[in-house]
Amino acid sequence: MRKSSIGRDALIAAALLVLLAALPMVFPSKSFSDFVMRASAFAIFATSLNLLVGYAGMVSFGHGLFFGLGAYSFALLMQKLGTSIPVAFALTVVINALVAAVVGAICVRLKEIYFSFLTLAFQMLLYSLIIAWTAVTGGDQGLTGGVPRPPFLGVRLDDPHHLYWFCCTTLVVSLFLMWHLVQSPFGYTLRMIRDNPRRASFLGIQVWRVRVLAFIVAGVFGGVGGMLISLFVSSAYPDFAYWTVSGEAVFMIMLGGINVFFGPLVGAALLLVLNDFVTKVTEHYSLVLGVIILIFALGLRKGLLGFVVQAWKKYVSGALATEKSARPGRN
Amino acid sequence: MLACFSSASCLVTQTTGGLISGMLLFLVAAGLSLIFGTLKVINFMHGSLYMLGAYFAFTIYNVTGSYTLAVLGAAAGVGLFGLLFERLFMSRVYGTDVLMQLLVCYSFILILDDAVKIIWGAEFRSMGMPAAFQRPPIILAGGVLPVFYLFLIGVTILVALALGLVITRTRIGKIVRAAAVNPTMTSALGINTTLVYGGVFALGSLLAGLAGALAVPVRSLVSGMGFSILIESFIVTVIGGMGSVAGALVGALLIGLVRSFGSIGFPLFTDGLMFLFMTVILITKPSGLFGKEL
Amino acid sequence: MLRIENLHKSFGGVSAISDVSMHFSAGSLTAVIGPNGAGKTSLFNLISGAFRPDHGRILLDGENIAGLPAPAIVRRGIGRAFQIASIFSSLTVREGILGAVNAHRRWYARLGRRFPLAEAQAQADEVMELVGLTATADTLSGNLSHGDQKVLDIALALALEPRVLLLDEPTAGMGPEERWQMMETVHQLWERKKMTLIFIEHDMDIVFKFAQTIRVLSYGRVLAEGAPEEVRRHPQVIEAYLGAKYDAEHV
Repeated sequence: MRKSSIGRDALIAAALLVLLAALPMVFPSKSFSDFVMRASAFAIFATSLNLLVGYAGMVSFGHGLFFGLGAYSFALLMQKLGTSIPVAFALTVVINALVAAVVGAICVRLKEIYFSFLTLAFQMLLYSLIIAWTAVTGGDQGLTGGVPRPPFLGVRLDDPHHLYWFCCTTLVVSLFLMWHLVQSPFGYTLRMIRDNPRRASFLGIQVWRVRVLAFIVAGVFGGVGGMLISLFVSSAYPDFAYWTVSGEAVFMIMLGGINVFFGPLVGAALLLVLNDFVTKVTEHYSLVLGVIILIFALGLRKGLLGFVVQAWKKYVSGALATEKSARPGRN
Repeated sequence: MLACFSSASCLVTQTTGGLISGMLLFLVAAGLSLIFGTLKVINFMHGSLYMLGAYFAFTIYNVTGSYTLAVLGAAAGVGLFGLLFERLFMSRVYGTDVLMQLLVCYSFILILDDAVKIIWGAEFRSMGMPAAFQRPPIILAGGVLPVFYLFLIGVTILVALALGLVITRTRIGKIVRAAAVNPTMTSALGINTTLVYGGVFALGSLLAGLAGALAVPVRSLVSGMGFSILIESFIVTVIGGMGSVAGALVGALLIGLVRSFGSIGFPLFTDGLMFLFMTVILITKPSGLFGKEL
Repeated sequence: MLRIENLHKSFGGVSAISDVSMHFSAGSLTAVIGPNGAGKTSLFNLISGAFRPDHGRILLDGENIAGLPAPAIVRRGIGRAFQIASIFSSLTVREGILGAVNAHRRWYARLGRRFPLAEAQAQADEVMELVGLTATADTLSGNLSHGDQKVLDIALALALEPRVLLLDEPTAGMGPEERWQMMETVHQLWERKKMTLIFIEHDMDIVFKFAQTIRVLSYGRVLAEGAPEEVRRHPQVIEAYLGAKYDAEHV
């Protein structure tokens, strides 16, 4: 069994953060740092969805609910109540956790596809609330007037450098926390429930409670992704809560690889690149994306990173085969 | 909203408006429900079939000038499209997990939405009332009742009756009901599941296409118009029970009326009310009002 | 210690279990036999909380556990293994058993620390040693042989340190030699762990060799019960059993 300690992983995370923070020195263009910030938001969002889809076997198709809820809660708290950023951050986490608890409690008992659709339906409830409640949300125009970014603890987010570092830090910290979660006893309980919920319940595990807890955790991190995007665009738009956000997140997971922790991160970055590229070439983005998704769904089911990891493991196990029987591949 | 209940004309107008929404919703939901009941997959692109039916009818009417032809042609065309989709794509992901089924459907929603934009344009379109129905509305207790509404309601009731008969009385219906209870049993009995699956998917698609065609005179057409009806028909099937045609009818009328009356009072509140209702059903009777245990 | 009183369960009007009463004393080793469809697995499902009985009581040390949800029954000390091995195919043998230990110790929702917990390792090692899975500890459960998957299913239940262990056809799908080996393992477990063990079995040679007592079910009712010698001579059992063997060949 692979040994990994919290301390060692924290060190690696810190090193990665320094590396990420220093990247603009190599790539000083604004479009690069903008890309990293956008990718951070979607990477956190997609990874949080993969906690459900990949680890717990809960195929939510309404995870955009939490992206939209995070974006709107944060933006509204900042704009209408004028709270400080850390307070708005904390309150948004609480709001997302509460909504996730309620929606989760209703949805998690349902079988697979029912669960997928019901989560989607709840997301569309938020969407229609945003559209209809014009007085607060600005309706289909989105929030106007910008999201204020008052300084806190010496961090000035109206400075693009500070904003960049803030996004990187949030990304690394969120991924570290989620990585830790999937390595915890709880994370293994999720895998057990994914593989065989019935067996898990006959081992004394209260399956639905674990599922609700997973749903809450995923909802909170999904909301963190939404907060970042609203900070980045300094607003919140109904599109953040539209169902296609969920669809894209599911595809990000697929694109990168569902059985690899960093698959969604890679998938988020790839989809954003693809998005930028395709929209430059043609106005028929949906058509192109649709065809690509179809190819993936019918062909490359393990995702790109999953494919690479598998090839690597095959190579390594081939090399080790003479020493002793190699352990079969696993995430 | 309360004011409406004291005015007969408002009551009539809102009720008939709710009824036709409910009828259209029923046709879409019944197809969704039949497909789920038999194939155990939720056709996530069912709303796109509704959209396709609407655009097919729009074009056929503009070319031939016959609304009858438009309705029949659109329904048949969408049915055929559904059959091809099931055979060529959906059937490849039956054994796999839900994720793949969702993705295949998702890709088709995107493709069809863009295809509609390319062929028919991105802007809103409307066909207007067919010539046969351009006559003064019936006035009932001061409320307005367009002739086309009667036609739409009549056609849907006929379809509902026909569906009910097919499912309860015919051999095909028997197979569909058996498949809904136990899919392995039907294949063990030597029934050609490929044929049944393809047929049911085509029938479900046909119903969605029919709904689209019937909606054209009273709704405007736009790429992406199918998505909200998909969500609503899912809620209808949750309330009525997956796999039950009667449940789809009751659920659809309920949702149609709630929306129609809610829209004049609390548009914000109606969506919430719909979800609250669905949640109560899910907690108290998870299989839906008319559903068998899942 | 485990007493069943007037248990009833029917599905859509068809009785699976009707008016079944039986008693299993502490530390006993009992075989439940009967033709296909006699209600053996239904009985296990009722005891372990997979189904709620229509009426009747299931008393574990005097406490009525009938109708409790499965996890609550597990926590009172009843573990089970399934006819078709029920395991976690994408986890290794060790991970699965560690997961079961976590479930038993109620560490399964811990977020603060890393899996595997040091304090769970010793017990997991012991369980693997006990059933002979140590050599395959790092194999993915889904890649194990059929026989080893059945053993792992039992090992998962053992990690719960059950007082009562229900084994639904531990030898199902095995070759003759493997069957005897499996039953030797089960028998050893029973002797070393001093638990109440109830198993369902079709092979009469195995039943008469290993069981202390036997309960015969037929059409959801208790047809006979007692020591192997008594049951063997029971005229109704002979009749039901010869009939069942005949049926089994025609399924």
